[in-house]
Parts: sequence; structure tokens; C-alpha cells
Amino acid sequence: MNRSSRPLQRGNGPGRGKGLSRGAGSDTVAAYLFIAPAIIGFTVFVGYPLIRSFYLALTKYNGLADPVFVGLGNFRRLFGGDPAFWPALRATGYLVVLYVPLSLILGLALAMFCNQRFRGVRIVRTLAYLPVVLPAVATITLWKFILNPEVGLLNTVLDRLGLPTSLWLQSPSMSMPSVVLMMLWGVGGTMIIFLAALQSVPTELYEAAKVDGAGPWSAFIRITLPTISPIILLQVILQTTAALQTFNQPKILTNGGPGFSTNVLMLSIYNNGFPNLGRIPQLGYASAQVWVLFIVIIAVIALAAKFTSLWTYSDNTPD
Amino acid sequence: MTTLQTERRPRRLIGTTAWYVTALFVAAVMIVPLLWMITIGLKSGSAVFEIPPRLLPREWTWSNFIDGPKAIHFPRLLLNSTIITALSVLGGVMTAMMTGYALARLRFPGRKVWFYLFVGSMLLPGVVGLIPLFQLYKSIGWYDTWLPLIVPAFLGGNPLFIFLARQYFLAIPYSIDEAAKIDGAGHLRIFTQVMLPLTRPAWITMAILAFQASWNDYLNPLVYLYSSGKWPLSVGMAAFISPFAGKTPDWSYYMATNLLYMLPPLVLFFVAQRYFIQGLGSLGSTTQK
Repeated sequence: MNRSSRPLQRGNGPGRGKGLSRGAGSDTVAAYLFIAPAIIGFTVFVGYPLIRSFYLALTKYNGLADPVFVGLGNFRRLFGGDPAFWPALRATGYLVVLYVPLSLILGLALAMFCNQRFRGVRIVRTLAYLPVVLPAVATITLWKFILNPEVGLLNTVLDRLGLPTSLWLQSPSMSMPSVVLMMLWGVGGTMIIFLAALQSVPTELYEAAKVDGAGPWSAFIRITLPTISPIILLQVILQTTAALQTFNQPKILTNGGPGFSTNVLMLSIYNNGFPNLGRIPQLGYASAQVWVLFIVIIAVIALAAKFTSLWTYSDNTPD
Repeated sequence: MTTLQTERRPRRLIGTTAWYVTALFVAAVMIVPLLWMITIGLKSGSAVFEIPPRLLPREWTWSNFIDGPKAIHFPRLLLNSTIITALSVLGGVMTAMMTGYALARLRFPGRKVWFYLFVGSMLLPGVVGLIPLFQLYKSIGWYDTWLPLIVPAFLGGNPLFIFLARQYFLAIPYSIDEAAKIDGAGHLRIFTQVMLPLTRPAWITMAILAFQASWNDYLNPLVYLYSSGKWPLSVGMAAFISPFAGKTPDWSYYMATNLLYMLPPLVLFFVAQRYFIQGLGSLGSTTQK
């Protein structure tokens, strides 16, 4: 944004600001004391693992003996030899394609619905957000039982309404939609962010549109959507990166089954890196998988950032 | 929004009715699974698998709420979760506030660089660090202890908090620091006695987000904790219902205990609802500049 007007201060010495500090060196020392924990944390928990994980991805490593450098061997095995890798990629892609659009559409619809003036709207809003507040493991396990084909709530209700029932998690074709269905129960999280965005749209815009004879639909297309487009983009990034890293739901609901139908990449990484007792961990191989996932995530973010000036928000520092 | 109010009466009535019907549906989707969970918790172990399933239990087995937690070792899991969560909330909020303060209100060489590094690390998926950190913890004897779940929080483990803290600190007028400085206060005093009281909403919001993150965390304790005596609730609860040696888990015990597991976040939500909304809402509004 206005980066050109404010060159990064590097070595010009501190204390050149508008009277923020008196003693030149004192701020620097104090500042570094204040951010020291975060710097240590950044080095140990971000910098080190990033480099180390990249190195491990190029090695054969079982966690006991020293890693052996194998170059791109792990990646060759991933894309060439491993019969479980493509299904894992496909399952992850399927989850993202099902979950992200539905979560955005339902979230926005719910936010619009809750952004109206009716008595009781606050109750609806609170209830819609409730599943997000509850512990993930608690809701996932609850849904595991709701989706039980014989005695679960969903089939019981469908049966009483005379609608067709399903095997849900136990059917290879329905298992992933069932996982997504469970995840969509937490759509309140998407809704809340959209709601904040909707509430910051100036009402004068809608009034002006009404004077011009615009209906609710054209007001939505021409005012609401363009105004909240940065948030929609942010949501696309947040939801896609989160969906790519889905672990808890498939781990608890299906453990990857039936077959490979819900064996998403994260689950595959976990099972290779931290297998059940008696099997040898393949930490190098799992790290290679991590990097495939990481690159996909970076690609998603880069693609989204190309369409936006989203990252300019961080430039509003007073200097 | 207001369009409905100006339309003619019958159409308005239809609109209102449609809204309430939809509202009822939304409310039912959200609340019925939870109510159903309670009825399962009240059924006896065998009644759960009755076919066709009954919606309400025939006899109300209140003892599930005592026997269930006992079978799952709920008190110990709760204690573990409480200690882990309390410490990581404290650490996460404290370091984020300190870092946010320095990044927003002190000027020093490297300020921008560190800001971009911290905020940029938000984009790093947690799984990238999992394997190297697992090996690191193992080599320094932290495997199967709570330290991997707590120490990172004390070292600025959540960059989102740093970002939120900085945003909040930026909004406070600088004349306040000036005044405090003239009174001879150092940075530590300004931070603890002037800034912390002023930024109460920010750190309460952060504390709630940190509470949720730690209370809900499943992957990290699953990887770092081996002995069941050290598990937090998330791992302990999930372990109880995962099929083990072909044994069917006792769902009525489980659901009764699950309700107890949900209670602390639920109570917190109703006590501090506005901060929950603010936390995510601030994400929506800070990025919209």
C-alpha cells in the first residue's frame, strides 16, 4: 500500500519517531526483551521444524537410526509406487470440493438469515454457533452415533418421515459425504465471520438502492457481495487450508475406511509417521507427504492472494 | 433487512412466517442432536441398541452420570485437561500481549521484519512441525510429558494472538504512553499497569480462543502422550469409543460423560458470549480495511 513512503527501518537507529521514545537505545532493548519469547518460539517451533522437515522429506528415517539421504526417492515412491497415496489425495480433494463451497454458501446464507430484525434472531444465532463452541471430539463422537445405520438419530428420523435411509459411514460411497455432513454442523463458525462482515456494510447503500428501485436480489448481487468480497476471499483461504488439514473427523469417525474412501492425506501422514505398535514409523516418507500437503496449501494461498489485496491490512502501522 | 417492513401486509406476514419456519428448522438441526445425546445418556446400556429405536428412554438410568465418568476415568482426564489448558491459556495470552505491545508501541530495528515473520508463520500448517518436533521432544525427554502441549504457548505459539494483540494496541492513543513516561514509568510499568487494564477485551477474547484451542486439541496430545494417565479429555474420550479388541463401547456411559465434557466450554460460552463473537468477528473486521 504505502510501503514506498516508509522504507523498512534497518540500521537507521531507533528513536527517530515522533517523540515515542526519549532514550535512543532503551526502546530497542526493552522491545527485544518483550518479544524474546516469541523470537525463541519462532526459531524453535517454526524455523527449525521447517528446515528439518524439508531435510527429512529427502531421507529414509525410522526415528531410531540416523536418517539416510535418498534425494527425491520418497517423492518418486509417492507418485509412482505407493498404491495408497493417490486415493489419499483424491479423498482430500473430494473433501475440499464438497466441504468448502457448501460451508461458504450455507455460512453466508445463515449469516444473511441471522442479519435480519426479527424477535428471537439472537437465539437462532446463538444456537447456530453452539456446535462450534463444543469440543471437537465431543461433537464428532456424538455424530458417529447419530450416523449409526441401525440405531442412529439420522436414520431414525429419516425412517419416520418415510425418507430413504443410508449406511452413512459404513458405505464407501456415502462415507465422505457423511464426514462432510458432520463438519457442516459447525457452519456457525463460517457464519459468524460473515455476520461481522455483513454488519459492516453501510446501510445507506441499501437505502440508496431501494430508492433506485432495486429488489433484494440485485441489492445482494450489486452491494452485499462486492462489499464483503475481501471476507469471502479470506473465508475461501481459511476454509480450504483447514479442510486440507482435516484430521479429527476421519480419524474418529472412520479411521480412513471403508476401504480408502476417507483416508485423507493428514490421516495417511499420521499413520505413516506414528503407526500402531509393532510397525516401523516411516518418518522420512511421512515428511515427504507433509511437504506435498504444504505445497498444495501454499499454492491455494498464493492463488487466492493473486486475486486480492488482502495482505495490505498489515500496512496500517502508525509510523 | 428493512425491505420487509414496507411491503404490503399479507406479503409481510408470509415473509415473517417463512422466517420463523426456517428459524425453527435451523434451531432444531443444532439442538436436537444434543438433546438426543442426553436421552442416550439416560438409557440403559442395552436399550440403546433396541430396534426400532425409541426416542425417549423407557426407564431413566440416572446412574449413568455416575458410572459413566467412573468407567472413563473422567475426573482424572478433567484434571489433566484443566492443568494443560490453564497453563497454555496463561502462556499464550501473556506472550502474545507482550509481543503485540512491543510490535505496536515500541520502535526498534527489525520491528517490521519480526512482525511479518510472526504473522507469516500463521500460514504454516501445524503438521509441518509435527515430525521434527516429535523427534526433538523425544531427544530431550519431553515425550509423554505435558511440556510439548504447554511450553510452545509460552513462546508465542499462536501467531494469530500476536496479530490480534498488536491490532488492539495500535488503536490506543499514544498520548497515554507519553503521560506515563513523563511520570517516570518504564516499559514494564506501562505494560502491566496502563496497557493491560486498557486492553481487557483483547486478552479476554484471546484467553477464550486459547481455551478452546487447548481444550479441543486432539492431534497433539494423541501424538505426544503415550500413557493413558496423562491424557487430556479429548484423547481419553475418543479412546473410550474407538473399537478395542472387538468390544462394543458402552454408548450410554459415553454420552452421559460427553455431556459433562461439553459443560465447561458451554458455561464459558454463555457467560462470555460477547467475547466469543468478538474473537472471530475481529478477524472479519480487521481484515476489511
